[in-house]
Amino acid sequence: MKLIVNGAAYEAKRPESVTALLEEMGIGGRPVVVVLNDEVVPASSRSTCGLREGDCVDLFRLVGGG
Amino acid sequence: MTRESEEKGMDRQDKAQDEWVVGGHRFSSRLLMGTGKFQDAETMVGAIMASGAQIVTVALRRVGRIVQEDDMLGPLGELKGITLMPNTSGARNASEAIRAARLGRELCGSPFVKVEIHPNPHHLMPDPIETFEAARILAAEGFVVMPYMPADPVLAKRLEDVGCASLMPLGSAIGSGRGLATAEMLRLILRDARIPVIVDAGLRSPSEAAAALEMGCDAVLVNSAVAASGDPIAMAAAFAQAVGAGRNAHRAGLMPQGGGTALATSPLTAFLSVEGQ
Repeated sequence: MKLIVNGAAYEAKRPESVTALLEEMGIGGRPVVVVLNDEVVPASSRSTCGLREGDCVDLFRLVGGG
Repeated sequence: MTRESEEKGMDRQDKAQDEWVVGGHRFSSRLLMGTGKFQDAETMVGAIMASGAQIVTVALRRVGRIVQEDDMLGPLGELKGITLMPNTSGARNASEAIRAARLGRELCGSPFVKVEIHPNPHHLMPDPIETFEAARILAAEGFVVMPYMPADPVLAKRLEDVGCASLMPLGSAIGSGRGLATAEMLRLILRDARIPVIVDAGLRSPSEAAAALEMGCDAVLVNSAVAASGDPIAMAAAFAQAVGAGRNAHRAGLMPQGGGTALATSPLTAFLSVEGQ
């Protein structure tokens, strides 16, 4: 399934849920916030949140900063 | 007269233990720490622990497609008694800052946000108009808004009026190490502020942090001063001592400043003259 992940085209092999996508990308257990089509997907909803062709997924994490 | 004697939402217990209250949350440490520029996670964690900081800022970044970046912040989550405060650094305007704040809240699980909007990378000065706009909206959404701001007393009042939990005026440009260049403006802000004033940015030495607390600021935030020092863990401890000394001095009340002439502390040496001459 063709998605746009962090602004770039991405061919997802496991688009059945956000959780599956994160695992496919190797982000599985790491703390990230998921934004799907400009809406935050709460962590509790990731396993039930499905993806559709052309969806925009943005992933953010915490980094060091002042 | 110290600022404790002014009503700032502090009850008698707070005053006795010298805690300070921001956004309804109580803290004993008056040293806030940033997490940027550290060489490695171990040094960062060691410095935070040495500082005694209870509020620690973090930033947001998009996750790379290829996840190979070091997880600097993983160990941070294991520290007890730390409130993470995401900043909105990278935002160029209020809209981006608001978006970043909402992401930060989701990630950190805390209502604290440092509104940080500095569109010009040469001087990193905070945009007062975008900061005000973001602060106004985020405060209405229930965030504990801590705005990074120019040391402008008029802006300070405006930010207080729209519901900010504190004020974070800069000492000097981020990372510049120019210290309390804004001291006179900070004094003006301190006179009228009814919410905590936290000097943020530009500090280099613990003595500057002490000076900020002596003049009546409630806290300071440092990042480069610790992370870029020769020994960040030792420097963090030094800052903690300085903040404590400055705060104690402020509570004790500095001696009056003379008008230019000397005022002897010991009797003048008339006793050395031979009697009768």
